[in-house]
Amino acid sequence: MLIDIRDLYKIYNEGKESEVRALDGVSLQIDKGEFVAIVGQSGSGKSTMMNVLGCLDIPTYGEYHLDGTDIGSLSDKQLARIRNREIGFIFQGYNLIQELDALENVTLPLIYRGVSVFDREDMAMEALAKVGMDDRAHHRPSEMSGGQQQRVAIARAIATAPPIIMADEPTGALDSRTGKHVLEILRDLYRGGTTILLITHDDGIAATAKRVVRLSDGKIISDNQQEVDWE
Amino acid sequence: MNLWQAFKMAFKSIAMKKTRSFLTMLGIIIGVASVVIMVSVMQGQAKKNLEYFEKMGDNKINLYLYAWDGGESIQKVMDYCLSLNTYISGITPNAEINDSVTVQYEAKTIKTNDWDNINWDVPGVDPWSTMLHVYLGSEQYGVCNNYTLANGREISFLEVEEEIPVCVLGAGAKEQLFGFTDPVGETIALNGDPFLVVGWYEKMDVDWRPEMDNVIVIPHTFNRTMNNNYDMNEYVIKARDAQSTVKAMTLLTAYLNGMFPKDADGNRMNGSYDLSSDNSAAENQQKASLMQSLVMGAIAGISLLVGGIGIMNIMLVTVTERTREIGIRKAIGAERSSIITQFLIEAAVICSIGGLIGIGIGYVGTMIAGKLMSDVFEGMILMPEPFIAFGAFAFSVVLGVIFGMYPAIKASGLQPVVALRAD
Repeated sequence: MLIDIRDLYKIYNEGKESEVRALDGVSLQIDKGEFVAIVGQSGSGKSTMMNVLGCLDIPTYGEYHLDGTDIGSLSDKQLARIRNREIGFIFQGYNLIQELDALENVTLPLIYRGVSVFDREDMAMEALAKVGMDDRAHHRPSEMSGGQQQRVAIARAIATAPPIIMADEPTGALDSRTGKHVLEILRDLYRGGTTILLITHDDGIAATAKRVVRLSDGKIISDNQQEVDWE
Repeated sequence: MNLWQAFKMAFKSIAMKKTRSFLTMLGIIIGVASVVIMVSVMQGQAKKNLEYFEKMGDNKINLYLYAWDGGESIQKVMDYCLSLNTYISGITPNAEINDSVTVQYEAKTIKTNDWDNINWDVPGVDPWSTMLHVYLGSEQYGVCNNYTLANGREISFLEVEEEIPVCVLGAGAKEQLFGFTDPVGETIALNGDPFLVVGWYEKMDVDWRPEMDNVIVIPHTFNRTMNNNYDMNEYVIKARDAQSTVKAMTLLTAYLNGMFPKDADGNRMNGSYDLSSDNSAAENQQKASLMQSLVMGAIAGISLLVGGIGIMNIMLVTVTERTREIGIRKAIGAERSSIITQFLIEAAVICSIGGLIGIGIGYVGTMIAGKLMSDVFEGMILMPEPFIAFGAFAFSVVLGVIFGMYPAIKASGLQPVVALRAD
């Protein structure tokens, strides 16, 4: 079991009139090498779910074990290590650092990981090559299209070769053709053994995943395996 | 992440965000430069003021004696002063021969105090600054008036006692009579009588007392033959140091009050006196420059504060922007310490560069101010005090680093998702 959450709650303004239960007692288990889509309408809690699963946010209540480690017991420093080594994030808004070029953005997690100067440029270039962006290594985000930026963001997510990739609406800001390309890359990663968590509101995109978890009002309302035609 | 990496990241960030880096530096540059310039100007002026008073003679006591019994009381006072030799190193009359004296050396003839034939109309020449004067003094004349011998010796005690015709020249008098020749051993004539030159003094160059360089000092015993035996009213007493000055002043005041007691109407009997010390003038001057220091210090402090607020503003304005960046960095695995280190170095580097530029501008500005002011105050040299420059620098850097780190400390403690949401 790679990801194991039990009775997870994320409650904002608890006890007040404005209380919001973004996650309302969620339990979910995901194995290594799965391709899971977490689907839900806006406000269903799917982004909160990813933030908690990605150690970007802490749940109000509940247990979260990642690869057997109790995340709730970890220090800030240990959480940083997990974010760096275990998980690669792909955000809807790319979240690239504007002042750095593509290569530098992709190198950043490698720097934090402590990879030596000699290796990390090669590793970053390799990651950029995987997403077909190696010819744009020295372009800044502002000099790239949305699709190109998202590919750079993917390169950054995979540069440290993490076992899990979490993508929050990775195609949300892209046209359908570039969106397809991004999904293609995720599928390639899946074939290479990476566990993929895809958060989306789009059933069409969810249809490409092997397992679809549906969220509504912070609760899981369905969890189905499905056959997909791309294999 | 190691320190070198943090440095590289910091430099990268500074280079990329030029406007913000520049604005931050600007606050520091203005703060440091204005402090350096203002404090330097202030110190230069205070120093110049003090120089005036030091040249005039520190630890010098001026005594004016008006005794109805003539020389008798005066002799008593002089004897009393000699008995105070723990505090007093010398006393001399400082009386000028008011009648014009004809001074001759070889073919040259110059009259002293020659007010009748003075020509005020020669452009560029101040007749007052070249007028010669004959002074009656003791063997301690030079010491009491802070002269330094350029060559030769002072008048001796015996020469005073025995009324031997010798003299010591001020630098200006020597120049007028002898030019560049050394006058020691030469003989000049005063009203036709030969006087042997035994020494001459170095230039004093006190702007507002040029007569100090134009003296011809002869033993005061010549008062009888050359000055119609007028009362010598003016004396200069040299105390050993500042404390001795105070002590000697107290003792002399008591002694003189006893000698010239006040009657029922408050009028002094037997004569009168006036005792003053240049130290009190110098003390007043020191007090004045202390006050000036405080005022300038306050102005400097305010400019630092303004510079500091500038630094603070630009640093705080960028918190939001930086918070998002910190969120991204955390999301991809940056530890809190890495982020704080990066921001610390970034702020320190920006502030140090700004501080150094500020010191540079401060020095250049001080030189310019010094150049402008030296036209007004001759010989006023402005030099920034390294201590002040360093102090202003350190203050700005500390301030910059504190406010530069503030967003980092605040944002790096947030959950990444919260930092990422900042807009």
